[in-house]
Amino acid sequence: MKLSVNGTEHEVDVEPDMPLLWVLRDELGITGPKFGCGIAQCGACTVHVDGLAVRSCQLAAVDVEGSDITTIEGLGTPDNLHVVQEVWIAHQVAQCGYCQSGQIMQAVSLLELNPEPTDDDIDAAMSGNLCRCGTYPRIRAAVKAAAAKLNGV
Amino acid sequence: MKPIFATLTALILSAGMTSAEDKVQIDPPAAGSISPEQGLQAWSRIYEVTSHPRCANCHTGASDRPMWSGPAYGKARVHGMNIRAGESRIGAEFLMCATCHTTKQEDWDNANLTPHAAPRVATSWRLAPVEAHWFGQSSESICAQLRDPALNGDRDVMDLAEHLNHDLILHWAWAPGGGREPAPYSLQAHVDDLLAWGAAGTPCPQD
Repeated sequence: MKLSVNGTEHEVDVEPDMPLLWVLRDELGITGPKFGCGIAQCGACTVHVDGLAVRSCQLAAVDVEGSDITTIEGLGTPDNLHVVQEVWIAHQVAQCGYCQSGQIMQAVSLLELNPEPTDDDIDAAMSGNLCRCGTYPRIRAAVKAAAAKLNGV
Repeated sequence: MKPIFATLTALILSAGMTSAEDKVQIDPPAAGSISPEQGLQAWSRIYEVTSHPRCANCHTGASDRPMWSGPAYGKARVHGMNIRAGESRIGAEFLMCATCHTTKQEDWDNANLTPHAAPRVATSWRLAPVEAHWFGQSSESICAQLRDPALNGDRDVMDLAEHLNHDLILHWAWAPGGGREPAPYSLQAHVDDLLAWGAAGTPCPQD
């Protein structure tokens, strides 16, 4: 089975119903997406499939054959961070960090769909991503800062 | 067009398509061959379906928020995670339903075995239109709604049967998997009841 992850084609020999999260972490060694719950209740495994945020624990390998998958590893590099990653650092959002790759992937997807989100919009888009450390106020501030930066404000 | 919006457009345009093997038989009785009493009996079963949590949880009207209710939940409550369907009904303005209710390949039917996971079908998950408000509504109200083209998507009974035939989320309601209680009767029985109700002249309890 061929999967395109972060712009690279991978040939993987897996069962068709293996969750994408398992393929990424165990088969390809891409460990940015995290396992939290396995049933789409936490958002820690969020990646982009064809540009939209999805919970990778809820997609089977067969579901994404031919799709473009992006994980946090494909979002930016240490030398060339994505704007959302920049503001995450500037606002020191992360605490333990376990949920943060999912938070960032969801935030990027939110800003693609809604370049000027209100607090209400941010809460609506980000409420499926849980943070046991309670970094939500910093997440909201960082998303607003990223929106301003992307809009050239 | 940006790729992301092309994807969204494709999701919306593809909503509700089904494959040949899922089709039901649409074989309406002759008009007038079903008595009003038989029609009301058919309606009573239709109401059992439309008011069942498996269906009504996503027919929540202007509240814009799906519900979590039914035997697995105990007390009825609003869907967690601050979910809103928006005008798009697929959550595009807020959080796409498909973020968690991901879209599976049509030919893979093992997708919903895990209890408590977000159910998924081979089309974009979404809330029913605002006008199709069933959650907590009476038999009289839903009956009046379903026979009124202004409230049912400009459909006659045959169109409603075809809608049931084509919409994969509706098919999922009778095979939800993961220990979830299915909608009452069967999809075919529901379509048969709908056609019988139509042949009887769409009687409602308040008539």
